Amino acid sequence: MGITTRAAVCRVPGQPWEITELELDDPKANEVRIKFYAAGLCHSDDHIQKGDAPMRMPVVGGHEGAGIVESVGPSVTRVKAGDHVTCSFIPACGKCRYCATGRQQLCDAGLNAAVGCFLDGTFRFHQDGEDFGGLCVLGTFSQYAVVHEYSVIKIPEEIPFDVAALVACGVPTGWGSAVRAGGVRAGQTVVIYGTGGVGMNAVQGAALAGAKNVIVVDPVAFKRDMATAVFGATHAFATAKEAHDFVVETTWGELAEHAIITVGILHDEVIANAIRIVGKTGQVTITAVGNGWINENPGLLIGYQRRVQGSIYGGCCPLVDVPQLIGLYQAGKLKLDELITRRYKLDEINEGYQDMLDGRNIRGVILHEH
Amino acid sequence: MSTITTRAAIARAPHVGWEIVDLRLDPPKAHEVRVKLMAAGLCHSDDHITTGDAPIRLPVVGGHEGAGIVESVGPDVQRVKPGDKIVCSYIPACGACRPCSTGHSNMCVKGLNAGTGMFEDGTWRFHEGDTDIGGFCTLGTFSQYAVVSEWATVPLREDFQDIPWELLCLVGCGVPTGWGSAVHAAGVQAGDTVVIFGAGGVGSNAVQGARFAGAKNVIVVDPVEFKREMATTVFGATHAFATAKEAHEFIRETTWGQLADHAIMTPGAVTEEMVNAAVQMTGKGGKVTITAVGHINERAVHVPAGALIGYMRQVRGALFGDSNPLYDIPMLLGLYKSGQLKLDELVTRKYTLDQVNQAYQDMNDGRNIRGVIVHEH
Repeated sequence: MGITTRAAVCRVPGQPWEITELELDDPKANEVRIKFYAAGLCHSDDHIQKGDAPMRMPVVGGHEGAGIVESVGPSVTRVKAGDHVTCSFIPACGKCRYCATGRQQLCDAGLNAAVGCFLDGTFRFHQDGEDFGGLCVLGTFSQYAVVHEYSVIKIPEEIPFDVAALVACGVPTGWGSAVRAGGVRAGQTVVIYGTGGVGMNAVQGAALAGAKNVIVVDPVAFKRDMATAVFGATHAFATAKEAHDFVVETTWGELAEHAIITVGILHDEVIANAIRIVGKTGQVTITAVGNGWINENPGLLIGYQRRVQGSIYGGCCPLVDVPQLIGLYQAGKLKLDELITRRYKLDEINEGYQDMLDGRNIRGVILHEH
Repeated sequence: MSTITTRAAIARAPHVGWEIVDLRLDPPKAHEVRVKLMAAGLCHSDDHITTGDAPIRLPVVGGHEGAGIVESVGPDVQRVKPGDKIVCSYIPACGACRPCSTGHSNMCVKGLNAGTGMFEDGTWRFHEGDTDIGGFCTLGTFSQYAVVSEWATVPLREDFQDIPWELLCLVGCGVPTGWGSAVHAAGVQAGDTVVIFGAGGVGSNAVQGARFAGAKNVIVVDPVEFKREMATTVFGATHAFATAKEAHEFIRETTWGQLADHAIMTPGAVTEEMVNAAVQMTGKGGKVTITAVGHINERAVHVPAGALIGYMRQVRGALFGDSNPLYDIPMLLGLYKSGQLKLDELVTRKYTLDQVNQAYQDMNDGRNIRGVIVHEH
């Protein structure tokens, strides 16, 4: 049967997002069809559209999204039609080795994230006989999408969709990079490079975890101001050097316990700066896309026993951390509304991404029209 | 107490090897101990000095693995007394600085001068003519006698008094560095799959530690057949391969594609190729623990961050295996006494002080797990 849906797609890397109408299949077993109300404009989709990150094309963009379950396929147990949900950019099957040991961020069912097909190898979006994958097997830049039930998390009805869209990618990726993958603890000194839609949540996580110093580095004044005035940063600097000099002074030479890299585009220099700003037993936690390399003589890691930790999803387990983050929001301990700087219609998506690249947004969100 | 004369192996410059000379050795000052060294281990780290890969103040008295008898003590020394048998810790452990206070005495601030051998008051204890000479790691165990910090002495309890000197010296560095790299720094757990690059004097102990911690697969990568043999027949490795490529293929097969939990790097020197092979050999959530240094002009840790992010891998450095000398040195001796840790088999050849250059040639030729200098007195 199927339905039709309007979506922002990319057919070839480097081409702007194009709004087009697609056919969307009915959900198969263990799949649900979602009517999206909001989709977040994460930098990762921009990386894909620009060709910096690999993705099968043509693709329906968007991997942050929230809406209402429109219909379910056979054997679905996690949600039902009418539920308010947000989509997790990595599924959580619950039974692979990683899910089974509390590491849902590494779930094996996330295998096809860069292809967009389901585990049986088939697609749900089509146009004139051509298959379109959903990014992260989601595709939230579409009014409707069919997703696997492993990728869906039920949310309370009173949570606004634009806030909910962020809570299963940008927020846990940032928050978790500080709290889970990073392991920030009370009294520590934390330096966060890049305070956009992900980094600002690393700021919140570090502050909530009780860090004494939450120091941000960002060249954009608007982001530095938001970090200190709204999200809990204690200090903000425009350059890595200024941050380094301050950290040396404020820690009496011991340096920071943590450096978290959440920049828009990862490059060698920020990694080198981060390694040098952490002291003995310090950890650098990296969650950013880009061709950045660690480039050090081993002595720099050995002498001070420094660690460099890759972080995906902030080391969070979506089925527990997404509800927990919503709970923190409801308790007033996590700011989500303030992350959304501008809201856009689907047709305005390219403008939305330009605003992001120009540093005008913490997070932009698409509000779908129906 | 007076100045004495001591024969020692010193390095004056890179690439000219060790030279045996007579030096003057001052008496110990406050909180210092003069030690009659009975045995000194031939660690690769000292070889890095003569190859120019370690930026050490020269000339230097080599040697940082040592065990001996306290000959005299300076004022205010309380940890040991003359006549005590001790192991020298590779750097001091003062117990009061921030790293010591948080369980990381391997990075005690009193280790600051390890690369020069200068004492905290800015003076030196070894002299040749008008030249002041430091001991490597502020020890200098390639000398018949050395003055060391009180905080670098580890007294031996009654049970350990009969352990041979050539084994005691090794637990001052190589054994805890290797063991600790697996057990503390990497944190090997029961059932893990661990790959260890380099099964020499340090790596053989990483093998022992990994096995002791319950690893299911302890897979060694070493080009030297003798070392692979020792690893599997003596130290507890389950598999051994000559190349990283062979190891990788085996690991992929034996873990059903999930790859290793840990890669521990204990070769003579790490290279970029080795580090990246290690990263690729670990699976989701995997950890690469780097204990060995690289060549001074290379940046061997040249790894794309993307290889760490999607799989949540970690690359970390380890110093002294993240061990605490005052606890781990006696603990390891205890394991030896109970038969659970092999030390005798680590010592492949013993040498006199005069044979130090031959000893390092043997090491570089892959003929030794560990060579040890037995001092003559």
